[in-house]
Amino acid sequence: MSNQSPTAGASAGCRLAGCILALALMQPAAASDVRSPSMLANTCAGCHGTDGASAGEYLPTIGGMDKDYLYAVMSDYKTGLRPSTIMGRIMRGYSDLEIWAIAGYYASQPWVATDRVAEAAQVHVGERIHDQQCETCHEDGGRGQKDETPRLAGQWAEYTRYALETCRSIGRRCDPRKMAERVMQLSDDEIDSLARYYESRK
Amino acid sequence: MTDRRTFLKGAAALSAAGLPAIPGLLRAAPKAQVVVIGGGYGGTIAAKYLKRADPAIRVTLIEQNPVYVSCPLSNEVLGGERDLDSLTFDYRGLTRRGVNVMQDEILEVDPEQHFVRGRSGNRYNYDRLVVSPGVDFRWDVIDGMSAEAAGRIPHAWKAGPQTVLLRRQLEAMDDGGLFAIVAPPNPFRCPPGPYERAAQVAHYFTRYKPRSKIIIYDAKDAFSKQALFQAGWKEHYGNMIEWVPGAAGGIIEGIDPDGRTLIGQVDEYPADVINLIPHQRAGALAQLAGLTDDSGWCPVDQRSFESSIHKDIHVIGDACIAGDMPKSGYAANSQGKVCAAAIAASLNGEPIPAPSYVNTCYSIIAPDHGISVAGVYELSDGRITGVPGAGGLSPMDADARSRAIEAKFAHGWFRNITSDMFS
Repeated sequence: MSNQSPTAGASAGCRLAGCILALALMQPAAASDVRSPSMLANTCAGCHGTDGASAGEYLPTIGGMDKDYLYAVMSDYKTGLRPSTIMGRIMRGYSDLEIWAIAGYYASQPWVATDRVAEAAQVHVGERIHDQQCETCHEDGGRGQKDETPRLAGQWAEYTRYALETCRSIGRRCDPRKMAERVMQLSDDEIDSLARYYESRK
Repeated sequence: MTDRRTFLKGAAALSAAGLPAIPGLLRAAPKAQVVVIGGGYGGTIAAKYLKRADPAIRVTLIEQNPVYVSCPLSNEVLGGERDLDSLTFDYRGLTRRGVNVMQDEILEVDPEQHFVRGRSGNRYNYDRLVVSPGVDFRWDVIDGMSAEAAGRIPHAWKAGPQTVLLRRQLEAMDDGGLFAIVAPPNPFRCPPGPYERAAQVAHYFTRYKPRSKIIIYDAKDAFSKQALFQAGWKEHYGNMIEWVPGAAGGIIEGIDPDGRTLIGQVDEYPADVINLIPHQRAGALAQLAGLTDDSGWCPVDQRSFESSIHKDIHVIGDACIAGDMPKSGYAANSQGKVCAAAIAASLNGEPIPAPSYVNTCYSIIAPDHGISVAGVYELSDGRITGVPGAGGLSPMDADARSRAIEAKFAHGWFRNITSDMFS
C-alpha cells in the first residue's frame, strides 16, 4: 500500500485540483443538492464489491487505486476515449466533479488483493516479461502507483488479461502509446502469464 | 469529575454488556433502534449500510427464512448451468458486522406504537422501520390459478423449491414438447426475466430436446431489452422461441384445471409444461402494514424512501414506487443505501442527503452471450429520474467478444452484489 510516490502523486493531484477548483466555481451553488462522495461511490459496489474490493474475477478491484488514475479512467470512459461495454453508459451520468469525488472515495479505501494462489511456471514467464518491459512504469512488480499508474499487484488475473487484450485490440489508440506498442507484440499466452504474475503479487 | 480509573471501569462495563468499548461509541449519537424486515437484495443492504453509516445505531434484521436464495441468476438453474446451492446465502456475515439477525415472520405492524410482532411472539420496538418485502402474487386475476395451484403449475418467480419444480417438469418433458411461459403486465419484478428464462430453457432444449418449442404468451406488447433478446434468440436458437404479444392474443385469462391448457382472450393454447408468472403487487407485509395505495404498490418519499402513508416506516425494493427505476435487484441495493443514509442522517439530526441511484441488470442469453441495461438516476422535483444521456442498453451491433465478456460480467456482478449483501 505505501508505494505511492508522494512527490509525483502530489504534483499530478495539484494540477488536477486546480482544474477541479475552476470547475467548482462554474457550478451553481446548491449545497443541499451536492451528493457526498460515499453516496455517489456506494452505487458502484453492486458490481465492484463493498468499498471496491471485488469478489468477481472479471471485475477489477478499485478500492485503494490511485486517485488521479481512477479519475482519468472514469473520465475516459465518459468521453468514450477508453472503450467499454457498460462503463461509458454509467459514467455519462456524472459531472466531472462527481467523478473526482468517486475517485477520491475509492482511492482512500484499503487495497484488498485477491487471495488466489498462482501456478509457479506461469508466474515465472510473466515475471520475465514484466521485468523486461513493464517495470519502468509499473514499479515494484506492479505495486507502484506513481504518475496515474494503476496498481496491478493482487488484481484479478481475468480482469488484467481482458484489459490487456482490449489494449492490444485497439492498438495505437490504447493509452499510453508506449504501453500500447509493447502490448501489441504480446501473444495470448504471454498476456495470460503476465496477468497471472500480477495476481500472484500481493 | 471523572478520573481515568472511573472511565476505564465504565468502558469495561460496556464491554461486559457485549458492546465494543471504543471511544467512538462513547462520542456517538444517542442510540436508536432500526428494524429491517426482509433479508433480500434491499433489506440486507439497508441493514449493513446503516451499521456502516453509524455503528451506534442498533440494527435488527428480521427474515423468516434461515437462508436466502437469489432470484437473479436462478434462470441458469433452469438452463442447467447452475445449481440452487450456488444461489444460497446465510446471514452470518451480517451478524459479524454487528447486525442483530432474527429468524421470524412478522404478523403485526403497529405504526402508531412503533413496534412489530413476530410469529415467535417476540415484539420488536423501532424508532425507524425499513420494510423490503419484495412482491406478492395476485391470484385473483387468472381463473384457475391460486397459491395451491402453483404447487403444480410453477411460477418460479421466487427462487427455491419453485425453481426446482419447474426444472424437474422441463426435464420430464418429452423431446418435441411445448413449453409455455405466461409473462405478466407491468409493473413486475425483473422486467427482462421472462425473456432470459426463455433463452435459458432454449439453451437446455437445444442440447437435450432439440425438437421442442417455447412460446411466451405476454400481457404486454413490448418488453425490456426486446430487440437484443429477439436477435439473441434467433442467433442461438433459430425459431425455437416464439413471442405472442398481448395484441396478438397473448393475454391469458385462465388456465384449465389439468394445468395443460391456457385460456386466452381469443383462443385456447395447449402446452406440455406451463410456467405462469402471475400479476404482482407489493409483498404481503406491505399490505398487512397498510403501506400500499390503490395500485397495490407503496408510495414513498423518493429521497428517503419513507412511506407517504406511515411516518417512520421506509419501503425499499420491488414493493416501492421508485420513479424511473425498475424492480430489479440492483435497484433494491441502490435504494437500500440511499434509505440507510437518509435514516442515519435523520437520527443524527442532519438533513437528508442528496441521493444517487444506479441500476445495472445483465441477462444471459447463452453462456457466451450477455446483454445489459444500465440506468443512472437523480432526484428531480421529488421523483427518481434517469439522468439524460446516461444509461441504456448494450449496442445492437456489439461483436462476439463484447457479448462474451458481458456474460462474464454478469457472473462477476452476481459475486459482487451478493458479497455486498452477505459479507
